[in-house]
Amino acid sequence: MPATVPEACQALTGDGALALGGGTAMGLLLRNGLVEPERLVWLGRIAALGGIAVGTDGSLRIGAATTLAELARHPEVLRRCASLARAASGAANPRIRAVATLGGHLGHADPRQDLPPVLLALGASAEVTGVGGTRLVEIADLLVGFMETSLAPDELITSVVVPERVGRRDVYLRYTPNSHDDYPTVGVAVDVSVAPDGRVMGARLALGGVAPTAVLVEGVADALVGRAASAADLEAVAEAARSSATPVDDQRGSAAYKQAMSGLWAVRAVRAALGGADER
Amino acid sequence: MRARFTLNGAPVETDVAPASMLLDLVRERGLTGTKEGCAVGICGVCTVLVDDRPVSSCLYLCGFLDGADVWTVEGLVEREPELADAFVECEGMQCGICTPGQVVAAAALRLRSPGAGAAEVREELAGNLCRCTGYETIVEAVMRYLERS
Amino acid sequence: MSQAEALIDNPAGARSSGSARLDAAAKAAGAARYAGDVVLEGMAHAAVWRSPLPHALIRGARLEAARAAPGVLGVFRAEDLDAGLFGRRVRDLPVLASGKVRFVGEPVVAVVAERREQAEAAVALVEVDLDERPAVLDARRALGSAEVLVHDAPWRYEGAVVAESDGPNLQSRVRHGREEATQAALAAAEFVVDRMYRTVAGHPGYLEPQACVAQIEEDGTVQLWASDKSPYRVRQQLADTFGVDPRSVVLNPILIGGDFGGKGSPTIVPLCVALARAVGRPVRIALRYSEDLVAASPRHPATMRVRLASDGDGRLVALRLDAVIDGGAYAALKPVPTVGLHGMELVGSSYRIPNLYLDARVAYTNSVPKGHVRAPGSPQVTFAFESALDELAAKVEVDPIEIRRRNLLTTGEANPHGARFVELRGREVLEAALAAFERRSGPPGWRTGWGIGVYDRETAAGKTSIRLRSTPGGGVRAEIPVPETGTGSHTVVREGLARLLGIDRALVEVAQVSTGALPYDVGVGASRVTAGMSTVLERAAQLWSMRQGDEVVAEIDGGGDERVTSFCVQIAQVAVDPESGEVRVLELLSALDCAEVLHPAAHRMQIDGGAVMGFGFACLEDLRIEDGQVWAANLGEFRLASSRDAPPLKTVLVTGSRGLGALDVKSVGELTNVPVAAAIANALAAATGVRLRELPITAERVHGALARRGEP
Repeated sequence: MPATVPEACQALTGDGALALGGGTAMGLLLRNGLVEPERLVWLGRIAALGGIAVGTDGSLRIGAATTLAELARHPEVLRRCASLARAASGAANPRIRAVATLGGHLGHADPRQDLPPVLLALGASAEVTGVGGTRLVEIADLLVGFMETSLAPDELITSVVVPERVGRRDVYLRYTPNSHDDYPTVGVAVDVSVAPDGRVMGARLALGGVAPTAVLVEGVADALVGRAASAADLEAVAEAARSSATPVDDQRGSAAYKQAMSGLWAVRAVRAALGGADER
Repeated sequence: MRARFTLNGAPVETDVAPASMLLDLVRERGLTGTKEGCAVGICGVCTVLVDDRPVSSCLYLCGFLDGADVWTVEGLVEREPELADAFVECEGMQCGICTPGQVVAAAALRLRSPGAGAAEVREELAGNLCRCTGYETIVEAVMRYLERS
Repeated sequence: MSQAEALIDNPAGARSSGSARLDAAAKAAGAARYAGDVVLEGMAHAAVWRSPLPHALIRGARLEAARAAPGVLGVFRAEDLDAGLFGRRVRDLPVLASGKVRFVGEPVVAVVAERREQAEAAVALVEVDLDERPAVLDARRALGSAEVLVHDAPWRYEGAVVAESDGPNLQSRVRHGREEATQAALAAAEFVVDRMYRTVAGHPGYLEPQACVAQIEEDGTVQLWASDKSPYRVRQQLADTFGVDPRSVVLNPILIGGDFGGKGSPTIVPLCVALARAVGRPVRIALRYSEDLVAASPRHPATMRVRLASDGDGRLVALRLDAVIDGGAYAALKPVPTVGLHGMELVGSSYRIPNLYLDARVAYTNSVPKGHVRAPGSPQVTFAFESALDELAAKVEVDPIEIRRRNLLTTGEANPHGARFVELRGREVLEAALAAFERRSGPPGWRTGWGIGVYDRETAAGKTSIRLRSTPGGGVRAEIPVPETGTGSHTVVREGLARLLGIDRALVEVAQVSTGALPYDVGVGASRVTAGMSTVLERAAQLWSMRQGDEVVAEIDGGGDERVTSFCVQIAQVAVDPESGEVRVLELLSALDCAEVLHPAAHRMQIDGGAVMGFGFACLEDLRIEDGQVWAANLGEFRLASSRDAPPLKTVLVTGSRGLGALDVKSVGELTNVPVAAAIANALAAATGVRLRELPITAERVHGALARRGEP
């Protein structure tokens, strides 16, 4: 059980090591024999991985050992990027949230998760540290495939950095038509920056649960920036969302339905962000 | 590995297999109030408190136990008889298999949000499934407990 | 008293004061014992290798690696165990597959080891050579073609209700009514609805996975602690199949963590006994929940063709039901003499239908054997019938309420299956439901509507026994044969006995005793326990008043000549998001008639719990059996309604009904889970015009139906 990040990186070097945050996702895999590591590396006791701090540049630095429950309640998160708190508060159930860490959540890279699309929409980055040093990785470059990150074996996520955002409105909508506590049929995260006179200056939109990874939708800024968010503009957003979705059939819906819902809920998220109204 | 932790208020020092689950550890020590249900962290019948947080013991790796403060239903009810009394008075149970998990979840809720109303109780307990009661009596029991403590 | 009894002692609250439920204190404190909590000295653990294929010949197995694994005491195939075929009526189920496997999940090899993890680790080392065969996965196809036979000669099994001349893959066929007259009436009717409705397989959803502990004593007596709600019946099955005296098989008292019909089947008990005999040590089998989902007794899926006809005023003239039901690979899990689904055979029971015919076939398929689940057959057929009734009302242009008013039976009439009840209060319950009904509004932009479902169910008593003993201080101890599965039966007994004897309930103790201590009980199920226990208590109280010594034993077989039935009318209000198809149930109102209620809290929870379970059946639950395999193999995929999913409930009790016996009781356990699906489907149709005839009702299905109509 390493006490510092360098010790953890050392322990992770070579084959057969498995890093654990809260251990909820890994616990399942371990118990079912789906992973058989030679050694477990516990990241939970590393003080440097805890805490949430506001930087001088206004960015929010969230330690990787922060639990989803802590994330859901933290005043700075609620103030600066409430959609992240909302996503964290809706994930799984209270017991998982009490233990699951941000770092472990991202490391697991399950495309159905709630936080990745939010982090994409917020333009967040992950601080990643290995024996060779630390680098900053955009979330899109971290989550590279289905249950796959770009982390080297000796690397761990040490924090997530959400940049300063002024005049930004962020929304996360989680569509769960069947059981409330299930993974969403589609999760949509939106972050728009709006000038005091109401003009849209920037927009990012990401989808969860409808592709091998969370996916940032291209073309949303084009549809909204400097425009009046007309029906045609919103339809362009819907079309962009549908085009970005490459879902699979599962318990939460067929691929066709998820694709259709990607379009519908992208528009709803944008409307919620622009309207300033609280999301459902 | 060697783990030193407290269990229902008493210190424990024992060897644990790091990848083994807390659920099996407590049950092997005779604390069979905590049950195995779905084994995937969903149903909540295995809920215990670790450092005042509700945890699915079926997914809680013993490697995390060193320095932890663990409470199972047996210890919590001894510590706070009003917790069990509320469930008895409101009859918040039928077959009883989910009851220990509900009781522990209620204890955790009080620690985190003692003034919770019915809506918040229902939300917080959504992670503890019950197939028998239809949930109304469980919510009432938790409300009674919160009012009393 | 064996060493294990102390672990399963009657919970601390046995003599609790007040009206608190007997086992409440123990359950709240984590002191309640279930089969998975039983620990015996020297107890070993078993795990099972299960078939990954739906249909295959077993060519051989390589077990050396498993045998050599740490802690392993034995690795067993069918031929290593001295066990025959089991079944609650048809004995076609082997404890381990022999010769061939017939469903994905069928047990083939059992491993016994010192520790459970060791047994499971050894199972992973088992290799079985399977020669895959084509599988028959669709019930209709199974009945229509002898190309693939699940069983070569099912008529040969003991208890079989099929003949060699019957069509292929048939488990049972129930036909009754008047076919010619019904066909003629359908042909001549002014209005006819002819529709197909489909339901899927669902697990009973008890949260305690099945578990069993078996210990063989020196003299061969089998001591069992099992999550089985029919201890005397499973004792008889074990005696019959192992060829021993039933008195040498003892089912010890134990609490059961939810039953809902799924814990009466011989899925693990016979295997546990066979393994305990084979290794010469006590053995526990405790299923992992995923095993329970994949391999244990789910509700039968059904495809039901309903032909329902009326005259110009909407008065019913004919009903024909043709049902094809998927029974899975073995018929063994069905306990009734017809080996069918009783509820299916009672279609339309609440109404006046002059011409009725039904033909219900249960098929063998290469999928998990299906069993009895809360009101077997009824939720499926009530969904079909009550939906068809609304569709008929639309055709006739009569309001769905009015068509029910015109056709619901009233006291004095026989039901269409020929049964006569002391009273029939369907009309009153309907009016009470409507009187209590208040419209709720949905979210802005959503379409709202409401719909109705109706059902009635008879109260049965069954065969049972009881012993009363005096206790110091003028008290009485009731020793009963019925396990407490959660329904509050033990508390009901305390209340009933206190009333009959005219004593304070604090003076009454109640305890389940082992099977050796009482003559018989037919088992928990069919909602019979309250009535059964009440009837036998009445007899026992009479004997008690005339007793010479300190104890009496009473037995009954059934509840007498008078028959009673209870009506349940449910009104569902839904809101539908037309853009996504999402259906939200704004309220589920259940109105039912009742007589004397001995334990109001349990009565209420049966109503609420049943309604939530019915909601799950309607909207959430599907084991997704595809390619013969259960795909929803954990509770993350097979979703049980959480407290947030459960719709707001409203209950209306229409009191003053006549019950059975001196205690005047009626059953309630299998009522409110039944009409829910129809009420929601009818509400959906009212809100959107979309008629879904397939369960579960999902947003995607609604969305698809709206899209086909060119909406939104």
